Amino acid sequence: MVVTATRKEADLDDDDQLRCAEPVYSEDGVDLTLIRWMLSLTPAERLDVLEGFAESMAEIRARNVTA
Amino acid sequence: MPATSQRRFAAILVELRRHNVDFIVVGGVAAGLEGAPVNTLDLDVVHSREPDNLARLLTALESLEATYRTHPGQRLKPDASHLASPGHQLLMTRFGPLDVLGTIGRSRDYKALLTHTVELELADDLRVRVLNLETLIAVKEEVGGEKDVAMLPVLRRTLEEKRRR
Repeated sequence: MVVTATRKEADLDDDDQLRCAEPVYSEDGVDLTLIRWMLSLTPAERLDVLEGFAESMAEIRARNVTA
Repeated sequence: MPATSQRRFAAILVELRRHNVDFIVVGGVAAGLEGAPVNTLDLDVVHSREPDNLARLLTALESLEATYRTHPGQRLKPDASHLASPGHQLLMTRFGPLDVLGTIGRSRDYKALLTHTVELELADDLRVRVLNLETLIAVKEEVGGEKDVAMLPVLRRTLEEKRRR
């Protein structure tokens, strides 16, 4: 008996959903998903993102200061 | 040593607003506030060089304990003549790095930039003028340095995405 593994219709739908309708990267290599994420935030939320990075960098540098 | 574990950019902006300083946020923070996924460690502002505003800015900088980070051990403070110049004052405040800029790009000062700004609400009682993305891109193109050119793709793509919305 030959069993042919076939993908269920639901799996094919999931795979199709994983393929974005919009491009993920621009032609010059910019990650467009990050842009769309930032644009979905309010200005106050965007400031939080910037602050989080700056704060993280400051903490990491402080931890790794060599005498 | 600048404070960590707090909202450093917001703290500087609050202090400038508290002293009624006229300024425009530019640079990396402006790009991020306009939606570009960028990282930056310093806050850049272009200030009005009207005499009254220079006095208010000096008071704000005193409150921020701002000294030149180009001379870290000497704790040199900017004075009115420095702030009246078109040049860039690279400062360290108690909340972190702050660049106070007389002009950017092709000698664009506060007056020239003001019509190219948006007012953004960043918190209760904190609204600031931010240079719009189109003009941020134009300034970077004018400066043309490697660092500025490197940021152009992400700024341009952000502008495209904004216009699509």
